[in-house]
Amino acid sequence: MAGLDAASDALLAERSADGDTVAFGILVRRHGPYLRAFATRLTGSAADADDAVQEALIAAWNQLSTLEDPAKVRTWMTSIVSRKSTDRLRRRKPSSELDDQRPDTHERGPEARAIATSQLDALAGVLSALPEGQRQCWVLKEVGGYSYEEIADELDLTPAIVRGRLARARATVISEMEVWR
Amino acid sequence: MDDHLTEETPDIGGSGYTLEDLSEYLDRGRTPAIAAIDDNAECQSVLASLERVGALSRDLVAQDAALNPAIDESWLASVFSSITREAKAGRDIPLSSPDPRTRLSITEGAVRELVRAAGDAIDGVFVGRCDLDGDPTETGSGIRVGISISVVLGSAVHDVAETVRQRVYSELLTHTELTIEAVDVTVTDVHVIANGSAPE
Repeated sequence: MAGLDAASDALLAERSADGDTVAFGILVRRHGPYLRAFATRLTGSAADADDAVQEALIAAWNQLSTLEDPAKVRTWMTSIVSRKSTDRLRRRKPSSELDDQRPDTHERGPEARAIATSQLDALAGVLSALPEGQRQCWVLKEVGGYSYEEIADELDLTPAIVRGRLARARATVISEMEVWR
Repeated sequence: MDDHLTEETPDIGGSGYTLEDLSEYLDRGRTPAIAAIDDNAECQSVLASLERVGALSRDLVAQDAALNPAIDESWLASVFSSITREAKAGRDIPLSSPDPRTRLSITEGAVRELVRAAGDAIDGVFVGRCDLDGDPTETGSGIRVGISISVVLGSAVHDVAETVRQRVYSELLTHTELTIEAVDVTVTDVHVIANGSAPE
């Protein structure tokens, strides 16, 4: 079927819901890179991201008939990816331990910021230097568009803990990114 | 000025609002408007920073995706080995058999595939959804077929829809024993590249 990749997300989602694996394959190729990028920033691990997105896509295929607005298929897939990613995060270690834990990275510090050549590089550095729990909350809120309560649900935390983590993440990100204004 | 911009900062620019308050104000779409924030230069600057780092975070993920556009084929294969058309096969539609000892049927999913193929064969058309309204499992029961299509930009929409309707109707008559009451075609989308002549 030549050219189906010119079709809209909505049409491909409708066909997929009807059982068209070709249409679903086009959706996966179209949005897979975004879903993996999102999951990688969220979990901090490309391997976890690959597994989570894979699980999410299989779940998405089986649940396509529940998608109310087929035009929003990417947003819908992203929410399934969040869930599969946070499932992995919860299994990985108790979330309460992540509060102050910083990733092992030598990219941190002023040197790393000094060699960042763009705002995006700088932000990438700041985010990956955040304690894991803070980074997860930040990505879910700012990229995933979730509310405090939804993040608390996803990560199995109290809203107060989410609030605290976001407050610390926000203070760090704002002040570290100040030089890039 | 960064030094005092921390979570411990009780309020920003003497406004009485903290960084967290400002973030929540932004999340609410700055409504209802709070004059103490809107009229405070330092608050406005912090709000702009919050908006900027939020947008940059989304840009960062988009950039990550753009820099890694390749999908690993074995990764993809493993997704596709776990999904099956059978999950969406739908109802079994009986077909008459010359041999009374043999029961033949075609799945609803296969009928949908037939409908999609019939519509897609028309230049500049992609079929979207396909519904079989009625009880196709009962021989002779009237079925209304509802399909949505996308047409290439600039098509004569009515003519195209009518061509699709006739084509789908005749394919269903040829390849199934369904009693088709009507084929309803709805144009729900427009796309920009013609499928008929596209390479690939």
